[in-house]
Amino acid sequence: MNQEIKVRKTLDLKGLACPMPVVKISKGIKEVEVGEVIEAHTTDPGSLTDVPAWGRTTGHDIVDTRQDGEVIYFFIRRTS
Amino acid sequence: MALGSFTADDLFEWLTGQNDFLLLDVRNDVEFDRFKVEGPYPVDMVNVPYMEFIEMEDESVARVPQDKKVRIVCAKEGSSKYVGEILVNHGYTDVAHMKVGIKAWGNLLSPILLAKREGYQLYQFRRPGKASCSYGLVSGKEMMVFDPAKNFKFYLDFAKKNGCTITKTFETHRQADYISGSNMLRHSAAVEIVAPEDDFKEAKFPYTSARHGEIHRFGSDGPEVEIIHTPGHTPGSTCYLIDGKYLITGDTVFIQSIGRPDLGGMVEEWSQMLFQTMTDILLNLDPDTIILPGHYMEWDEADENLIFAATMGKIKEHNAEIYNIDDEKVFFDFIQANMRPQPEEYAKIREINAGLVEIDEEQQEIMDIGKNECAATMR
Repeated sequence: MNQEIKVRKTLDLKGLACPMPVVKISKGIKEVEVGEVIEAHTTDPGSLTDVPAWGRTTGHDIVDTRQDGEVIYFFIRRTS
Repeated sequence: MALGSFTADDLFEWLTGQNDFLLLDVRNDVEFDRFKVEGPYPVDMVNVPYMEFIEMEDESVARVPQDKKVRIVCAKEGSSKYVGEILVNHGYTDVAHMKVGIKAWGNLLSPILLAKREGYQLYQFRRPGKASCSYGLVSGKEMMVFDPAKNFKFYLDFAKKNGCTITKTFETHRQADYISGSNMLRHSAAVEIVAPEDDFKEAKFPYTSARHGEIHRFGSDGPEVEIIHTPGHTPGSTCYLIDGKYLITGDTVFIQSIGRPDLGGMVEEWSQMLFQTMTDILLNLDPDTIILPGHYMEWDEADENLIFAATMGKIKEHNAEIYNIDDEKVFFDFIQANMRPQPEEYAKIREINAGLVEIDEEQQEIMDIGKNECAATMR
């Protein structure tokens, strides 16, 4: 998707197993302003469905998900 | 009180023993909808995803009744521990989480003795996570396994406990819904794989072709295993008749419904084959033949001992809307009218089961999980 997403904060969550990626993303999103985007890198395959589920629960917007080998890149915009 | 833990075997024991507990599944809603724990009796189960405990702790805790034992499952153990600790902190007194996670449930095999006769014992290995059955035939110091699941270590342990070694595995067909353990058993225990050539001709591992009418036997006085070709669910589909009484049918005959002939993308041809098999072979079986299916759809197909087995006579009666069809075209229309999409991973599983692709264990777990979709009709 758009290369011009401006990322405010990057979380390196590689190697962490659930629930830690979601715990850290939940914390990380609160550290940026509404409208800003954070980037999270995970390696837990479970995060592929867990992070979107977390997005539905909280209303934060998963603007993009990319995969490169075993690393998953999430771009998440704080909405409220 | 501290958070406890339990195994998938414990869970199966509680479910079959009608123990009173709440099963709290904390996976996300998508995973939960795709695959959930089932047992022979109604399960008191609630899905509160762990991310809701992270975001709305008090509201989520309030959804868990306080007066029951709480048993928690998640994908891989971490989240169920996390939620368990929260519940313990909130004063819940009897809370435990499942070790390993849902995949342990998905891989669980539970043995039950089907028949003990002069010279042999026949076991059914129920796999509640897949709603499938594999079988073990023990005679003297040898064991033959039919349609092993990928939890091959279970079969090795089972053989060891019974003082025997696995000599052969038999494949009823090339499975699309689960990863077969035959090739794994060949690697670790040098078993001979017997499999129908029509399904396995491109296989990358050695196997003995299962030829219609041929008989396999143990030593000198063990029971006979007769090969009967029953194409339809797949072109190679084969049944194995043990001691002239017990018919291991794979995905050809089920207690409820019949094996769907549309998984290979050639529904018209395979449906014709299945109709032929039904009229030429299945309807001519001795009605007292005991059918041992590769799958069940629901637990209510099990008998009072929680065994999945029924006579061909009963099955014909129970599925009269299928077995009474005496016209190929009408049969095809019936199959078509009940067709539904197949899970997308089936194509890949089929390749894995011929040794055409190899994937790592984690991918295997993801692909192999979930209830089968092998019957022609739904309830």
